[in-house]
Amino acid sequence: MRIYNPSFGLSATSKEKIELKPVNWKTDAIALVSNSKPNARELLWGIRDKLSAHRQVENIKFLAKNSASQPAPKELLQDIAQNYRAALLALGD
Amino acid sequence: MKDIADQEVIDLEDMDIEAFNEFAAEQGWSDGMPLYVPTESKVAKFVETVRGDNRPYPPVPPRQVIPTIQALAANAVMAGCKPEYFPVVTTALRGVLDPDYNLHGTLATTHSCAPMVMVSGPIRHEIGINCGSNCFGQGWQANATIGRALGLMLLNVAGAKPGEMDRSTQGNPAKYTFCFGENEEENPWTPYHVQRGFAPTDSVVTVMSGEGPHNLNDHGSTTGSGLLTTFAGGMSNPGANTVYGKGPMFVIIGPEHAATLKRDGFTIDTIREELWKRSRVHLSRISPENLDTYATTGHKPDGDWLSIGRSPEDIHITVAGGPGKHSAFIPSFGGTTVASVRIAR
Repeated sequence: MRIYNPSFGLSATSKEKIELKPVNWKTDAIALVSNSKPNARELLWGIRDKLSAHRQVENIKFLAKNSASQPAPKELLQDIAQNYRAALLALGD
Repeated sequence: MKDIADQEVIDLEDMDIEAFNEFAAEQGWSDGMPLYVPTESKVAKFVETVRGDNRPYPPVPPRQVIPTIQALAANAVMAGCKPEYFPVVTTALRGVLDPDYNLHGTLATTHSCAPMVMVSGPIRHEIGINCGSNCFGQGWQANATIGRALGLMLLNVAGAKPGEMDRSTQGNPAKYTFCFGENEEENPWTPYHVQRGFAPTDSVVTVMSGEGPHNLNDHGSTTGSGLLTTFAGGMSNPGANTVYGKGPMFVIIGPEHAATLKRDGFTIDTIREELWKRSRVHLSRISPENLDTYATTGHKPDGDWLSIGRSPEDIHITVAGGPGKHSAFIPSFGGTTVASVRIAR
């Protein structure tokens, strides 16, 4: 018998792979991004404290979505893309 | 040879229903209840019912694939729908794809929300959607399978697999199916879809990412004001997402309660305003830890109170159900919207 696949769909994303440049974790600017749920901020500050033993942390900044349940606003994503080489996301829950 | 997942049409050896269900479970297509077989001939009958709606579908999050109408129909077949239900299911899908519905968030959340599907207009009676007694419950094929079909689409097309992309802590029985009709005939005010700007003759599907219905029992109150005191008490819930997430909610008023409220001069707007004022949560009912969290995330109280939405307009009102002194409160996920879409015919 022949059936239709209920999970079939056409990919909406390009097959093209984006080349990522390597991150220098010793010096590059890093965004610490919280999803605004309880404990996400505490987790990220803990990571920043740990990193301070190995590198300068003045260019490691704390950012947050304005709602735990909503997607990150475009302005926040643009800010991260333009000003940071890496982002660490904390999904507090 | 392509993987099964990449094939739109799959050739299978002939098998009985039990064997097909085992195969479907292995593919991850099942919600745990028995499925019908989405054969080419059955799918073709469903596709014929939506010829009046040729708008393309956007990518469906979180998986971000663009579904074919045949794949959508396969889910409706598997759910046990009749072909004539399919336009309701596809319209519900269009509703949850409204960007403000926040489908990704509502599917990936730890909250228990499920897609509530409410049907308004003439199609309710044309296809036998229950709007009366036990409208949230069992016994009606249209209610049972339309909600189930949407759930299967979200599982199979959107990719909301429980425990993987669907991270709900406890889930909710409404995730199996949650579809009912408005009881327009016993609504003493304006039918919901007309409140939303549609014509009375339009058939409209309204979706909201909601919890299951919370019962509002009031056999004793003989006035509209008394009923609203009970309703507001049931809505005033410090554990609801909407206390801090802010967002829409439904109050589905039973016909007998609606008649009392109408007799006492209440309108949809005055009911909303009264419920808005009376359902606020006093800060003494919120833990200090939660108050700290709300303060740092911008959810400021109004004096000693937290409201359960952004404004009275977040409280959506309509009538459904049959005889009896019960109504229902359906809080939402919070970061979502109520989307109403006319069925294209």
